[in-house]
Amino acid sequence: MDWLQLLVFPAIRALILIFVLLTGFAYLTWFERKLLARFQVRYGPNRAGKFGLLQPAADAVKAFFKEEIIPNHVDKPVYLLAPALALVPALIIWAVIPIAKGTPAIADVNIGFLWILAVAGIESYGIILAGWSSNNNYSLLGALRSSAQMVSYELPLGLFLVSILILAGSFSLVDLVEGFRPWWEWIWLWLAFPFFFICILAETNRSPFDLPETENELVAGFQTEYGGMKFALFFIAEYVNMISTSAIMATLFFGGWKGPFAEQYIWLGPIYLLIKVVVLLFLFIWVRASIGRPRYDQLMKFCWQFMLPLSLAYVSVSAVLAVFLK
Amino acid sequence: MPLDVAPVVRAYETQRTLNPPGIPALAPMPEGETDDTRRICEQFGEDIVAAGLHYGNQVVYVDPGRLKALATVLRDDPELSYETLIDVSSVDRSHLPLDGGARFQSVYQFRSYSRNQHLTVIADCETEAGGGDSAQIDSLTGVYQGAEWPEREVYDLMGIHFTGHPDLRRILMPKNWPNHPLQKQAPLGGEEVPFTFTWDDPEFDTLGSQILPAESTVPDLPPGMSRQNMVINMGPHHPSTHGVLRLVVEMDGERIVSIDPDLGFLHSGFEKTGENKRYKDFVYYTDRMDYLSSMSNNLGYCLTIEHMLGLEIPERAQVIRVIMAELQRIASHLFWLATHVLDVSGTGMSLLMYATRERERILDLFEMVCGARLTVSFIRIGGVWQDLPDAFVAELKDFLRVMPQKISEYEAMVTEAPLWQERLIGIGHISAEDALGMGLTGPMLRGSGVDWDLRRDRPYSGYEAYEFEVPTSDSGDCYARFKIRLEEMRQSVRILEQAVDNLPSGLYRSNNRKVALPPRAELDVSMEALIHHFKLMTEGFHVAPGFFYHGIENSKGELGFFVYSDGSAKPYRLHVHGPSFNNLYAIDHISRGEMLSDVVTNIGSIDIVLGEVDR
Repeated sequence: MDWLQLLVFPAIRALILIFVLLTGFAYLTWFERKLLARFQVRYGPNRAGKFGLLQPAADAVKAFFKEEIIPNHVDKPVYLLAPALALVPALIIWAVIPIAKGTPAIADVNIGFLWILAVAGIESYGIILAGWSSNNNYSLLGALRSSAQMVSYELPLGLFLVSILILAGSFSLVDLVEGFRPWWEWIWLWLAFPFFFICILAETNRSPFDLPETENELVAGFQTEYGGMKFALFFIAEYVNMISTSAIMATLFFGGWKGPFAEQYIWLGPIYLLIKVVVLLFLFIWVRASIGRPRYDQLMKFCWQFMLPLSLAYVSVSAVLAVFLK
Repeated sequence: MPLDVAPVVRAYETQRTLNPPGIPALAPMPEGETDDTRRICEQFGEDIVAAGLHYGNQVVYVDPGRLKALATVLRDDPELSYETLIDVSSVDRSHLPLDGGARFQSVYQFRSYSRNQHLTVIADCETEAGGGDSAQIDSLTGVYQGAEWPEREVYDLMGIHFTGHPDLRRILMPKNWPNHPLQKQAPLGGEEVPFTFTWDDPEFDTLGSQILPAESTVPDLPPGMSRQNMVINMGPHHPSTHGVLRLVVEMDGERIVSIDPDLGFLHSGFEKTGENKRYKDFVYYTDRMDYLSSMSNNLGYCLTIEHMLGLEIPERAQVIRVIMAELQRIASHLFWLATHVLDVSGTGMSLLMYATRERERILDLFEMVCGARLTVSFIRIGGVWQDLPDAFVAELKDFLRVMPQKISEYEAMVTEAPLWQERLIGIGHISAEDALGMGLTGPMLRGSGVDWDLRRDRPYSGYEAYEFEVPTSDSGDCYARFKIRLEEMRQSVRILEQAVDNLPSGLYRSNNRKVALPPRAELDVSMEALIHHFKLMTEGFHVAPGFFYHGIENSKGELGFFVYSDGSAKPYRLHVHGPSFNNLYAIDHISRGEMLSDVVTNIGSIDIVLGEVDR
């Protein structure tokens, strides 16, 4: 029955995971619109269903039934591939995140950290290829910005991850959550959280670092030439990315599925994780509602002149701490 | 290929006018003299055709050959020091009894900020041999840089060629337009619009079963741009060009090499329309120009005509006008703040909603007085349309109580925010000399350190009675203009508080029945009132021959109206000097060498309304 263990169960789990994530995405858009509206003295969606709860369904129907338009001047294969390339990493990054005691979403691999770094590296391809294949100046500029931004912010992000890795002493996220952490390690971790969060904002192209798609300068940046479901795929990718990175942050900094009685009742694990993810998502939206966008060169300067030295220092101090206190 | 524009002959347009035989008449020559005209006459002697005062404005008629020399002297002579060329317009006098005079005259408005003087210079244009429809005159771009766009506009609409102009292209009309619309022989409306289809068009045969392949033509670059660099179109459908502005942006990487604004998408021919409307009917058109400050537009136009009529405006009407103009200034600045922050910072910026919430209250106040919110037409020639309703004052006071806190709230959100300062400080820098040379007005001028406000320095409508400060700044960047506009809102609140506390009772509209309509109730009981009503509604009132330029301080800068009357009930020539138009000229200058994102900041900082730029 090996093939059952190797293929069928993981496949079923993956399908359930994708279903959960896409539903999560749909209601994340609702959540964001409602919250933003509240921040901005508006009502938000309130026509489709009670509290606008059917709004995501309406949006999905609209996206599915829109006419598929492929402009003549695009590089067709790449143009079609790009949205998929954007969405897939956002989904598969979940494979290694533990959702309950001893249970990763798909697989407990001993390279959990590397998996996150590797998949995060692929994410920018979707955007770059979209901008390049669209054959449009605005898209190209958006893609160029995005590639520069993601490559730059992956460095401090990676360095922060490495620091956590050094302190945890294991590549596996399951071990990381279940392992014991002394109090000074928690505090040291939380000191890094704001900076890690800034890197994540840049990595997910969220406001205020949404320079690749800045509608006020670049119309819609890399997605200018996309419409209908292809546009929706980019949209889904962005939001699933938000959920995934929130889950990663919850796992790395806030103990993932851990919480009162989560050890005894395994079903509590996912609920705690969900609560932590929602709180972090709230943070994403809060930032969007209140912080303005920097200029592109300022963003890069911030990364290279501030974030990178800071993360390097953080790695070295973490290493020292790990050697002397662990 | 010229477009096919065939005039349509309408019977009522060719009808004999009912005007007395003395109409149309030429504007009379100026009388008297002032220090400035005396000094100019001393220097130019025979070349000054006439000089003196006309409707209280200093006017100089100059020989066209010496126009450029005169402009240079006006700018450089320390005892004249007219730093700025505010406006260039022109008159086609072909329907006037010319007696051999030149058909086209170009009209220049000079302004000395340091000496607080205004001077109108008029020069006959040399008509080409055979007395055709085109004429020429020296360009003043070498003396005043800001003459570039106004002269292009005059060339476009009136067909006067400016010799020595660096870039004399059409600016508002399509480049293949067959005529110059402000010339008197150009038809008014009725022509077939050349870019619509009829159902006979073969293109409709395959309607629904086709996708039109976009024809790949070589785009024509504006002069001076190079294909070596990336050239992108911002607009006319772009989220942050505030309407239908198209900027052709030449970029090297993300750095701006040059910008060529392409205007005219919203050109509605208000000036031509104005020549065919009775004086009182043009008020409604002014709303549609700068649609974010229609009250101020109404006011500027009405003050011009009232000055030509010599009409006394009742005290109460003047105060009501000040209240409306200042409310409108706050509303316009609020909307500027909302969109500026949105453009610079992105969608999430909640300030847009907060600022529009307050603007909503002002629009509610407008709705109280006249039932309209955007295109109000509340200020009419002779006063205002109706008296304030009873609840208005209390509501206004409540608004004034809340507003200062709200302004502080906006300030707390952005003024000190490091990201906001990073985006604005040092961006879009413009020096005082450049600002003067380009003829910029309003916050653009004050942001560069020129202490000038028409409300304080050339008061109109009773502004001399109010106490307020004119904020200025020497830094000349977007941040300076941002702070100035915020401070202007506070000062407007101050003016409003004084106005509402000293609101006199009395008439809200002049009781000169020759100009202003009698109240409705009077029509039922008075035969005289009925006659006046009939006369005003059919013929309108006549304005004595002459011309007059009057500028007011709009929220965006100096809004000027130049009216040339031939004595009839319609303006012979009506020119609007829109502040947005002149201020937008600076976009190329201030954006060079900056990033693409800064273009958006600069557009927001200039504060344009395309309805006024294109008119």
